[in-house]
Order: sequence, then structure tokens, then C-alpha cells
Amino acid sequence: MNIVVCVKQVPDTATERKLRSDDKTLDRDAVDGVINELDEYAVEEALRLKEAHGGEVTVLTMGPAKAADTIRKALAMGADKAVHLVDDALAGSDALSTSYALAQALGRVGFDVVVLGSESTDARTGVLAAMLAERLGVPQLSQARKVEVNGSAVTIERVTDYGYDRVEASLPAVVSVVEKINEPRYPSFKGIMAAKKKPVETLGAADLEADAGQLGLAGAWSEVVDFAVAPPRAAGTVVKDEGDGGAKAAEFLASKKFI
Amino acid sequence: MDFTLPETALAVQRGIADVCSRYDMGYWERCEAEKRWPDEVWADLAKGGWLGLGVPEEYGGGGQGLLEMAVATETLAASGSAGGSAFTYVLTPGFGALTLSRHGTPEQKGTLLPRLATGELETCFALTEPDAGSNSLAISTFARQDGAEYVVNGQKIWITGVQRATWMMLVTRTIPAEEAKPRTNGMTVFLVNVPEAVEKGQLSYRPIPKMGANTTPSNMVFFDDLRVPAANVVGEVHGGAVVLWDILNPERILLGASALGGAEVALRVGVEYARQREVFGRPIGANQAIAFPLAQVQAKIELARLMLYKAAWLFDQGLPCGTESNIAKLTASQAAWEAADAAFQTHGGMAYSLEYPVARLLTDARIGKIAPVTEELLLNYVATQVLGLPRSF
Ligand SMILES: Cc1cc2nc3c(=O)[nH]c(=O)nc-3n(C[C@H](O)[C@H](O)[C@H](O)COP(=O)(O)OP(=O)(O)OC[C@H]3O[C@@H](n4cnc5c(N)ncnc54)[C@H](O)[C@@H]3O)c2cc1C
Repeated sequence: MNIVVCVKQVPDTATERKLRSDDKTLDRDAVDGVINELDEYAVEEALRLKEAHGGEVTVLTMGPAKAADTIRKALAMGADKAVHLVDDALAGSDALSTSYALAQALGRVGFDVVVLGSESTDARTGVLAAMLAERLGVPQLSQARKVEVNGSAVTIERVTDYGYDRVEASLPAVVSVVEKINEPRYPSFKGIMAAKKKPVETLGAADLEADAGQLGLAGAWSEVVDFAVAPPRAAGTVVKDEGDGGAKAAEFLASKKFI
Repeated sequence: MDFTLPETALAVQRGIADVCSRYDMGYWERCEAEKRWPDEVWADLAKGGWLGLGVPEEYGGGGQGLLEMAVATETLAASGSAGGSAFTYVLTPGFGALTLSRHGTPEQKGTLLPRLATGELETCFALTEPDAGSNSLAISTFARQDGAEYVVNGQKIWITGVQRATWMMLVTRTIPAEEAKPRTNGMTVFLVNVPEAVEKGQLSYRPIPKMGANTTPSNMVFFDDLRVPAANVVGEVHGGAVVLWDILNPERILLGASALGGAEVALRVGVEYARQREVFGRPIGANQAIAFPLAQVQAKIELARLMLYKAAWLFDQGLPCGTESNIAKLTASQAAWEAADAAFQTHGGMAYSLEYPVARLLTDARIGKIAPVTEELLLNYVATQVLGLPRSF
């Protein structure tokens, strides 16, 4: 089975994140990059699928040069090879232009199943899997807490508010996973050493045979117009109960248009 | 001269940090408070092959040297486990696996190394006796030959990790110290199967209530006609000193590395507090009285690390490393103590609260100045062996 797992390098959630003043995108140079947490679960699931059904796991990432660290981590966990989509023309992509670039790359790499985390900790749009499936014209199975492949069918347990739905589709397909799905393995010593020798193919925008107008900032449908630091929390209003506390509280809420 | 760490050591740094990132300071504090072995970390280290780093590849290990193991120990300690808890890495990967890799018989290596590499078997090391600590050649635990077996009688103290160990690396005398010429002659190292000996009533132990490092108990151990097959001798009969030096030098380097990691975490905690705590309307770290001791510690950490890596490198090259490992151990444990003390002072009254991590770090750092060898004995070594001053003993 040809398994592709999409991973993203995100700013370490433990560090302070800043937006750049010029193009108002996240300043990725200023922070430590780590693998998006949910993507570790995606890599783990991809590896388990390979262990159960054979085949190969390819890591696909789009990101600046330093995202190579994230690729190495996924390779150290056990993936076989990687494709790194890196080009200044891709900077500033929103979810829509990212999905376009990744879909073009996937068309080139080929796949039976694409596994990815259901959202990333930086932008948290959570729409990439759906966009990707739509662009590739294959079924999307989202929010999986369990994945099984049987011949040419894939079945997942999709997490819902009330429990889970069993969703089945034919391969090829896109599967997004949640953290309940597994316990990601740590890279082993041998895994880390072996990762250094695994092939990483670098692709630029030109390799994608893409419409340049749909890539990067140029292709983004969303635009950050302005941003500001969240204001520090102001002192609260204390309602003193002198028999009319309820009415005063209601008045306050009404003044703020909460009720 | 090239100071970059080899790729293997960088891989260790990254890999161990990855494992440790799932265990915060609170985890280690709980282990210490509950006096329990860090089972979860141990299992993760085992799974990733990190425990077998120093075991040759043919026995299922990583085939790496002491440098990689030192980096592993340092990284583990620096993640929050600090000095005491880094015993986790020294007892089995160090005392057991490293020693047997160098000195084990083919039989001992074949049966033990693969299972030491996976952490399935654990070891401890028994040298110190109530009347022989700094003067370890004066040990009196005696092994008398009886056909194909040896019969051991005597007593050890401070033996750490007996509870979990399947095998004890036991240092004995086969020629009494008074009769041995030179004094290093007549020592023999044995592999003792602890659970078996306990079951037969030939070995017993009692934990010593201690001030810190409680993730791993330290014990009094008693040998009562303990019978050990001759096949369990490590190295040569009477020639145990050769094995012993190859235990003690790596021990200094690994516990030096654990002290170094302890210094790093204490400094991190101290600096963090110095940045956040405001007194007289400014962060206390803006006062040089607070900042300079922390800066001083940073300098000492860098120096100790250089010395430590050099000592480990020498050992891996098969070159003499006695002076360097002693100096590395001395400087690393001093850095640990000064780091913990500076972090402690920086915390003001909060340092004394057990809700902050500094008290544990200070307690942990204190052992480094005593065990596995005291600061005085290290200085003695430098004074007599390096400076050629007259011996005091
Ligand atoms: C937590 C802990 C764990 C340990 N784990 C182990 C273990 O697993 N296995 C093991 O075998 N041992 C272990 N030890 C023992 C440790 O190695 C010894 O405690 C250490 O070597 C010191 O010996 P001692 O306690 O007998 O001190 P002593 O030798 O009695 O020394 C007492 C003091 O006198 C000083 N002194 C002695 N002679 C001189 C001199 N000539 N010049 C100047 N000063 C001198 C010493 O430096 C020290 O300050 C452990 C100890 C501790 C505290």
C-alpha cells in the first residue's frame, strides 16, 4: 500500500508566537519549529497501516527549509522517504492554497491513502483534509479514532459528540486522525541514525505544474488585514447584592448585549 | 581541532530529549516523593533502544561509546530528573552493560548483553563497605574458592538499586588487603544472581533511609556463605582491579554527566525565577547580585561539559582518562552544587517550599560532592598524580 502522511512544522506551543509586521503572517523564523502534535499520531497510524498491510510510507510536508527537521523526525519514527515542498512562492499560503499545492504534489507522488492530523496547532482551521479530498476527488474520512483497511475499502470510527460513527469508503482516500487513535512511538536510536540516509525529494513550485496564481500568498483567499496584541484583561465589574443583585447583574449583561 | 559533537551523539541528544519531553518536572517530583522508580521513562528508554546504547551491535545494542552514554545521561538529568534520578541510566547501561561489553566472557556476553540492552535485566554495583569507602582497596568482603565455586562472606553499604537488579557486580578480595602486593592485586569481580541468592538466604539487604535520590533505594547488603560459580568471575581472578578501573572511570564520567544535567536544570529554574519575580518594582534578575552567580554557573557548566566530553572521548579511544575523568567529575559536581545553590538563593523563601523544585535539586546536587567519590579524593588524585605532591595516605 502506498501511504502518504502529511506533516507540518508548527511553532512550539510553549513559546510566544508573533506575526510579522510586513505581510502579517506568522513569523516562523523567530520561533522553534516542532512537528504538529496531531501529525505524530498520523505518522504512527501510517506506520501501523504499513506494518499491517505492507507497502511504503512517504512523508509529505510543505514548509520552509527548516521544516527538514520535522521530516527527519517522521523518518526517524520509521517512514521510508519524504517529499519536501519548499519555495518562497509558497510562503503565506492559506488553507486553500496549501491544499492546492499539496494536492498537486500528491498527484505527482501517487497514493492509496493519505493520512493527516485533523488540525494543526498554529492556524487551527481544521479544513485541510476536506479541501485535499475535494481537490483530489477522493473520499474524506475525518476525525478518525480508529482506522482499518480491508482490501480496497477503508473503515474508520469517526469521533462525534455522541460517541462515534462508523464510516466506510473505497480507496484511495484521505483520512484525518485525532489523538485518541494511538500512542505515537518515539524515534529510536537506530531510527534516528537511519533517517539520515533516507531519501528526501525537494520540490519547488515549478515542479508542481501548478497555476502560480493559486499558490502562496497570491493564491490565498483569506487575508490578514490587521492584527493587534490581545488587550490585557480589564478589571471586572463587581455587583454588590443589596437586595437587587439579580436585577443589577441582568442590567450589566444587557448593557453588554449578552441578554 | 573539531569541537562538534558526532552525529551519533546529536542523535542521542535529540532522541532522549524527545522521550523526556513527555515527562515534566512534576513527574520527577512525584517519583521522588513517592520513592518510586520512574517506570514509564524506563519503559520508553528501553523501547527506543536507549538503554542498550553502549552494548555492541552484535548483542542487540547501539554499538556506541561512553560519549553517547554521557550525552544521554546529561540530557536525561537536564530534563528534570536531575542528579539523583539519573541513576536510572548509570546502574544498568553503565555498571552492567558497559563493563560486560569490555570484560565479560563470551558466555556472559551472549546470555546477558542482549537482555541488558533491552532493560529486561538490571544490574547494580557493590564496592563500598562500612570500613572501605574512599579507601576502596581496603575492602574485606572475601571470596574463598571451593572447587568450581567461590564462597563469599562480608558486608557492603550504600549499594544502590539492589531491589531491581537481577545481577550484582560484586567486588571482593580473593587475597586479603594486608597480604596483597601490590595492594591492587587480589581483587575479584563476580556476577551475583541477586534474586537467587536472596531465595537461598545467602544474600540479604536493608534500605538506608536517605535524604534524597529516593527513586532508587541504597542498601546495606550482607553475604552469608554466598556461593558463586567460578564461571561468574568477570575478568581475571585476583585481577579484578583492571575491571574495577573500567567501572570507576565510566562511573565518574556518567555521574559527572548526571551532575552536569542537574546543573543545567537548576540554572534554568533559577534564571526563570530571576526573570519573573519582581521586587522593588523590577525583576530580581536585574540585580547583579542575583544575575552574576547565575552567569558564573553558566560559565562553569560550559567548562565542565568540555572536560566531560573530553574524558569520555579519551575512554572511547582506549586512551588513559584517569586525570580527565577525575577533573570532569570534580568540576561537574561543583557546577551542580553551585547551580542549585544559586537557584536556591534566587528563590528567596520560596526555595524552602517543597512546592518549588529547588529544594529537590539542591538535595540531589549535594550527593555529587560525595558519591561515587568524594571531592577530597578527587583533589587528592590531582595533587599527587598530576602535581606530584607527596601522598597524605
Ligand atoms: C546516595 C549514594 C549512593 C551510593 N551508591 C553506591 C553504590 O551503588 N555502590 C557502591 O559501591 N557505593 C555507593 N555509594 C558509596 C560511595 O561511593 C561512598 O559513600 C564514597 O565513596 C565515600 O566513601 P565513605 O562514605 O566511606 O566516606 P569516607 O571514606 O569515610 O570519607 C569521609 C570523609 O573523609 C574524607 N577523607 C577520607 N580520606 C581522606 C583523605 N586521605 N584526604 C582527605 N579527605 C579524606 C572524605 O573525602 C570524606 O569527606 C553511594 C553513596 C551514596 C551517598
